[in-house]
Amino acid sequence: MKLFANEAALENELAAFTNLYRQRIGIVSEDVPLISNLDVWINIALIRQYHQNLSGEAAQEEVMGYLCRYQLEMIAHKRTHALTDEQRFRVMLLRAAMVADAVIVIDRPFKLLPALQDSRFIDDSLHIIADLYDNSCVFDYLWFKERYRISDAA
Amino acid sequence: MASVVENIGQVGIDMGRAFHDTLSFAGRIVMRMFDIRTYNSATRVVLLNQIYFTAVQTLPLFFVGSILFGSLLIGVVFKIIMDLGLANYLGKVLVGLLVIELAPLITALLIALRSGSAINAEIAVMKVNREMRTLEAFNINVIDYLFIPRIVNGIVSVALLSSLFSIVVVVSGLLFANIFFGMSAAVYAGTLLDSANSGDLILSIVKAATFGFFITMIPIRSGFAATDELTSVPITVLRGMVKVFIAILIIEVLSLLIRMI
Repeated sequence: MKLFANEAALENELAAFTNLYRQRIGIVSEDVPLISNLDVWINIALIRQYHQNLSGEAAQEEVMGYLCRYQLEMIAHKRTHALTDEQRFRVMLLRAAMVADAVIVIDRPFKLLPALQDSRFIDDSLHIIADLYDNSCVFDYLWFKERYRISDAA
Repeated sequence: MASVVENIGQVGIDMGRAFHDTLSFAGRIVMRMFDIRTYNSATRVVLLNQIYFTAVQTLPLFFVGSILFGSLLIGVVFKIIMDLGLANYLGKVLVGLLVIELAPLITALLIALRSGSAINAEIAVMKVNREMRTLEAFNINVIDYLFIPRIVNGIVSVALLSSLFSIVVVVSGLLFANIFFGMSAAVYAGTLLDSANSGDLILSIVKAATFGFFITMIPIRSGFAATDELTSVPITVLRGMVKVFIAILIIEVLSLLIRMI
């Protein structure tokens, strides 16, 4: 986790981090939205279909399995505007995990999940799909440290 | 006076630059279209969906429109042929005017109206929603994934629908030939075959494909020029569709010139 005192510092570090792992970055960010004219499952499957030439049927089967982990199989054929913030976040997380040897970057998650009081939902979401990615890193502001249950002493 | 000349010059330079940019973009697209690496599972799905939206979904409307419009055209042409006593030129008029010239043109106009505008708005909305950034963030080439399937779809759909329009016109012509001239199906077919020239038919298909290329490429390029503001969407659609109609006119004139040479 990386916490920053201001937006400029965060943006700079995020850009540097993204450049470092350019081909492996799977980003979850308000600035990288789901594609609005594609179903949820296609948004996720697209990464594997494009980069690994996985067939549509195989990609759909794989994605449905991952959605089941979050018990979200019922939203597979919905589009982004029909999702709750939590559902959208998990779909974005799955999409990021589809990158080969993914390094998942979660950019200011509370912008995507404004109603969350702390980071437990984010931690749980990452934990459920821990086998799908290599590494993960959360980028956020220092003033949210309590939401991440980090004390001043730490 | 000097400022008027200056303005005319500036407009000329802008138009020349826009024309050059469009052609160089078209060149890049053509290069990618013939690169086998462009086609993967994701782009093939987009291509199939686009062909479904453009050629299949529109088929009932296009078929009925072809029958109505084609019959009307045939009726007018036959009336003129009869009035002028040009029955001997029936085949040439039918093939030369309706099949080779008007079928691709009318198809291109219909597809530009329906799909060209939709593609323009779709790309512009994706740009406004920052969805292009999403594709870039996941190393998905925008040209390969978004542009090529839509343009290949344009080429395939306009060529196929133009052929369908030609078939409808020819079948309508059989009915009218029988009514106006008492011509049998065998004589009618013979007249058409005598008038048909393989070079002209190839030119007709190439022309339809060229229409298809530009009536999808120009809206894509125009939509891609949208800014981050939602209000830029209708502006790009408006500009894109005007450019499409100019392109259709240019292609039509060029094809006429080629036929005359």
